[in-house]
Amino acid sequence: MEMGAGIILAGIGERQDGRCRKPRRIGVPSGLLYYKYFPLWKAFLEELGAEVVESGKTTRAILSAGVSKAENESCLPVKVFYGHALALRGRVDALFIPRLVSVEKRTHTCPKLLGLPDLVRAAAEDMPPIICPTIDFHHSFWQNYRSVYKVGRLFTADPLRIIRAGLKAWTRHLEYQKRLAEGWEPLAAMRGEAGGRLAEGRRLRIAVMGHHYNVFDTFTTMSLLERLRGMGVDIITQDMVPEEWKERELRRLPKQIYWNYERELAGALLACVSRRLVDGIIFVISFACGPDSMVHVLCEQERKRLGGLPMLTLVIDEHTGEAGLITRIEAFVDMLRRVHGRKGREADGELVSA
Amino acid sequence: MITWPRMGSLDVVLSSVFEEMGVDYVLPPPSSQRTLELGARYAPEFACVPLKTTLGNYIEAIEKGADTMLMIAGKGPCRFGFYAETQRRILEEAGFRAEMVALEFHLDRLGELIRNINRLKQGGSWVRLLRAIRFALHKAFLVDRLEQQALHQRCFDAEKGATSRALERAYELVRRCSDHRGLREVEGQCFELLRSVRRRQLREPPVRIAIVGEFFLVLDPWFNLQVEEQLGDLGAWVERSVYLTDWLRPSGRNPILGHSDRESEEAARPYLSHFVGGEGIHSVGHTVLFKRDGFDGVLHLLPFTCMPETIAKGILPLVSRDQGIPVLSLVIDEQTGKAGVATRLEAFCDLARYRRRQSDRPGPRSAVFSSAAASGF
Repeated sequence: MEMGAGIILAGIGERQDGRCRKPRRIGVPSGLLYYKYFPLWKAFLEELGAEVVESGKTTRAILSAGVSKAENESCLPVKVFYGHALALRGRVDALFIPRLVSVEKRTHTCPKLLGLPDLVRAAAEDMPPIICPTIDFHHSFWQNYRSVYKVGRLFTADPLRIIRAGLKAWTRHLEYQKRLAEGWEPLAAMRGEAGGRLAEGRRLRIAVMGHHYNVFDTFTTMSLLERLRGMGVDIITQDMVPEEWKERELRRLPKQIYWNYERELAGALLACVSRRLVDGIIFVISFACGPDSMVHVLCEQERKRLGGLPMLTLVIDEHTGEAGLITRIEAFVDMLRRVHGRKGREADGELVSA
Repeated sequence: MITWPRMGSLDVVLSSVFEEMGVDYVLPPPSSQRTLELGARYAPEFACVPLKTTLGNYIEAIEKGADTMLMIAGKGPCRFGFYAETQRRILEEAGFRAEMVALEFHLDRLGELIRNINRLKQGGSWVRLLRAIRFALHKAFLVDRLEQQALHQRCFDAEKGATSRALERAYELVRRCSDHRGLREVEGQCFELLRSVRRRQLREPPVRIAIVGEFFLVLDPWFNLQVEEQLGDLGAWVERSVYLTDWLRPSGRNPILGHSDRESEEAARPYLSHFVGGEGIHSVGHTVLFKRDGFDGVLHLLPFTCMPETIAKGILPLVSRDQGIPVLSLVIDEQTGKAGVATRLEAFCDLARYRRRQSDRPGPRSAVFSSAAASGF
């Protein structure tokens, strides 16, 4: 099997040989964009006949491995991602780490995601080859198509099969997004299993805003969503806020945000505030997150301008203690309950989820 | 009154433009501990340090009476493109009365750019503005060549600090210049000033250290704790990857450094195959290029939490191993102390010198060195 140019990143030493055996077992580290696109990736790879190996939930061991290998200055999710990639080492033929440069014109993802495949390769000497198609919406459709197609060619020579896999993957992705919008539990939504709903029409409703890889990771956030549900609180995530509402909020801003995932985040958060969708907001940021440090300033100010909804900002890092986190969440929820009890709730407004 | 942040010799360039245009401006006081403290007080906790220092600069300039702040905006993915918006919000929130004018050089935003420039030039003609900019760029070009000369000759100083003092005097001469003829005359004087510094005999050729990294940190001597001077005093022949002219000129040809952007992207490709915003890819690429040019070590400067440079920092160990050149990454934030940096620089210079003595590298390296020596000083 010829190495697809620009698709496979091999170790520096083996750069020259130009050939590798056909990859069978493909590892997908369960971090960062995993929470956004895993159903898509999985369907695509499996349809092509590959076996997809996940690294599973984040654990203490994974986090420690990541922290010891990653740069100190990296943000927490990148460290976690390192840990996941290291955990897959030796168990797979190749790692699947796409380089998502931009998923919408005029925007970018975070720089860390742009350099992620190169970073992971540099993390250890014995990293498996990395399959990294580049997706960039500044390029033409065909360029992106080619990049995906090249991945397919690593597994099969049949073009129709690749296209079929692509279509199937896209369907899976849309299904996943729909489930998230309906408020399924993220992990259940990913697997397509029946699971609990985040919002069930309880009295108190809180928006948990933050990147998927922060909010959905049960280890680094210490099961924030679970805990809130345990306290009898309905949860709104950014996926449950309709796209048009987000866009409308974003259009009002004097300067457009150019990070794609930050746009979703800020749009959802501001929609929650201006439409009074929730009683309070918990904004989850990981330490040293670059874009969030900027967008937080923006959200904070716009929130005040729109009449202020209580907001708790949780900055999490690898040293975050469970006790401190719980105390703050409990205090916040108690405060909301008191406010809520005093005011009663005016017209139960537009519900976002079913 | 217009103001802009301190960044190395940027004030020479911009003050020249506004003087030519007859527009009032205020320079923020030289950056100090207070600047950084003011910035850190208002800025978000893990914003990168350039945001904090420039914010501090603005606050101090507002205290001196500035009411218009100049900044460049961009379209990512580095945070720098969002500085203007964030700082505007922070200052507004803190109750400072000043207007932020963010220049965004992008075709879709041409109308806004023209409107903003119209506001800045306050009725002056476009021809005059372009002339002023051209002259200012000439000044910057001269300043950069002087700085480069200083970097190359500091290690030969018989008396420490003599070159830096000569450079200060040269800056003053350039700053006072107001036309092209004057500038040409001054050019000779400035180089004479630098060349007339008394030199000492070295027993072996000086160790060659290159500085790469985030542009603000590399360009601003206060911010990077004078690493250039420190290295020079330690007896290192220094080169750096960013000069103001190279940064200001959009062509990417980098006349002063001598390596174009494309060259460094090409050099970085085996290690980092996609741009990551800021100078991330160039930090990697220049490290490879400097190795090819025969340097003995590379000093990588990055502000704490800087996204592109953090990526570069993650990849540089691989480059260092693969290319066989020592790389020291220095992370700088508001807590960094000069003594700690000095110790590490000293150890790094020793290491680079030791490694050079160990390897009996023939021809090319020494050839590069002597030719540079012949042309440069």
